Amino acid sequence: MTESTYAVSGMICGHCADFVTEELQRLDGVTAISVDVDNGTVTLTSENELDIAHVRAAVDEAGYELTAARD
Amino acid sequence: MTPFHGTDPKKFIADFHTSFHDELVDGDEDTGVIVDRYHTPDIVQIADGHRMDREKLIAHARPVRKNRPSGVWEVHEAVANGDRIAARSTLHVTNRNRKLTLEVYFFGQFTPDGRMRRGHSLTRTVPLDAAPEQAPGTPGRQEASA
Repeated sequence: MTESTYAVSGMICGHCADFVTEELQRLDGVTAISVDVDNGTVTLTSENELDIAHVRAAVDEAGYELTAARD
Repeated sequence: MTPFHGTDPKKFIADFHTSFHDELVDGDEDTGVIVDRYHTPDIVQIADGHRMDREKLIAHARPVRKNRPSGVWEVHEAVANGDRIAARSTLHVTNRNRKLTLEVYFFGQFTPDGRMRRGHSLTRTVPLDAAPEQAPGTPGRQEASA
């Protein structure tokens, strides 16, 4: 299992967290998603290391912006 | 002088939310300029315990512009006292093909020129099967983006 944390800007409430989660859970291999709205971070647990380009694309699809990876 | 200039507090708060979100969604003006037109530079909003400042409001404009949510602010009642206002509303939102109905309980402070200086709100998501039918023309209703 791999756990990675990403900085995501633009989230202000639980509904924002829901929209981001909805897109990230479509990624292959993701087993858990934890969103911290106040700190602007998303932590993904996955079976294998994720391609950040795929994570960024999923976040972008939800309308938000992945600004950094924080391992 | 109050920020409300004799305006019905229901209309003031409905118009505030409606025009702010419409400008974000419909225009291409710099989002920082729009945020500053409606908020003081030291704005603090706390929504369901989440703290937002100017920077977070501007960052949130990105998903608003991308997703272009639409909705209706239905202000049931509002009272004003000096530069403060309290309102009980229902927000009907469609965002990313998902319909949401939120009860919104809001306390805010505004400047004499109508900018929000401070806002506190609590929301409750209304189950879809419990949401009442919308009745066009109700006073205080505003078509808006949310």
